[in-house]
Amino acid sequence: MRKLFAFLAKYSVLILFIILEIISFSMVVNNDGYQQSVFFSSGNTVIASLYKVNNSIFEYFYLKKANEGLAKENINLQNELANLKLRLDTLTTRPTDDVQTSSIDPDLEINYILAKVINNSTNKQLNYITLNKGIRDGVRKDMGVINEDGVVGVVSNVSEKFAVVIPILNPRIHINGKFTKNNYNGFVNWDGVDYRFAKLNDIARHVIFSKGDSLVTSGYSHSFPEGILIGTVDDFNIEESDAYFNIQVKLAVNFRTLSYVKLVDYLNYKERLNLESEME
Amino acid sequence: MKMVLQNIVSFIVLVLLQVLVLNNIHFMGYVNPYIYVLFILLLPVRFSRHFILILAFVLGLLIDIFSNTYGIHAFSTVLVAYLRPFAINLFTNIEEDTNPIPSFNSFGMFAFSKYVITLVFIHHTSFFLLEVFSFTAFGHTLLRIVLNTLITTIILLGICAVKRE
Repeated sequence: MRKLFAFLAKYSVLILFIILEIISFSMVVNNDGYQQSVFFSSGNTVIASLYKVNNSIFEYFYLKKANEGLAKENINLQNELANLKLRLDTLTTRPTDDVQTSSIDPDLEINYILAKVINNSTNKQLNYITLNKGIRDGVRKDMGVINEDGVVGVVSNVSEKFAVVIPILNPRIHINGKFTKNNYNGFVNWDGVDYRFAKLNDIARHVIFSKGDSLVTSGYSHSFPEGILIGTVDDFNIEESDAYFNIQVKLAVNFRTLSYVKLVDYLNYKERLNLESEME
Repeated sequence: MKMVLQNIVSFIVLVLLQVLVLNNIHFMGYVNPYIYVLFILLLPVRFSRHFILILAFVLGLLIDIFSNTYGIHAFSTVLVAYLRPFAINLFTNIEEDTNPIPSFNSFGMFAFSKYVITLVFIHHTSFFLLEVFSFTAFGHTLLRIVLNTLITTIILLGICAVKRE
């Protein structure tokens, strides 16, 4: 017994070192990006509040960019409004024997929540974004995040007042996208190299497309409605022996200048999830 | 007592500087210097080895919480704290009964620079490898390690030089 204590005393530094490294390493390994407690992330209230203060100081430098984005979105909305008005005017009344159903139009299934980016990174391998909206504003896990340019990411952690988003700039997320031209779809994933580009590797060699084709969300996930821009084909190549194209996608969103984003609240989320889980 | 207070202040200042300023540097898409490790480097030479490990763990974990890296900083910082005495023995010959704070004056210009660059390199290597968690695109990771080690070292030596004035 005494020998044991002597041993422990002699190697106590080494033992403490190994214990601490095992704790750290198991934290690294056990983190799959989704099941982490909010406490150990920047969604933690104290940390997020600090980021909020910091952001309120630096946001003035980005006001111009934010303004441009809002103006652009304003124009898009006005155009859409004009189109809808036109359609409303030309809409004829339904025939009287039409069966009236209480279903809502698919377009009305979605509600947007505006949120502000209070922390953001683009230069890491695993980038995250912190938003100033949380559970009390109706944010939940798996909500899609977009801005006026296109897809930003998906919510991974939510606390009472804050939310952490995994952006496309994080290899842990795959976003299903399709070509607007021909509906072929595949997963867009980031390779950790450049914040402006991502990769798409699921397009088979018989598919015909060209540089500049746009890639939009497929609408197969619970997170995004159909048709939100992810990016455009910047470059592609295929080896003689490959079955799939190696496509470089230029992302629609500039992640360095993010300031305001919209969370996509899919109103029938629960119903769809329940129905789908019944089948499994 | 003054010493303890000084260290607490520098701990807080370094953490805030790291997470609020340096983590937001977007230069060339690669550069993200981690200067908070300076706190560990500048503790007195004969500082308790147990306590330094604990301090390193807390410091790393704090940075982890701020940057959503779950344990990667903690791992690297504890590693540096453990290897620090070996680096001191390797590069300097401090007498048994003295307890200086590492600096250009106490170690000598050349020895101190070697001490800083070695430990920063160890920290960055461990950090960037764990961050990628694979050896694919190793050249890319290596570039990150070397580039950031150089920049962090320059910043740290700059800080130490200014402090000496």
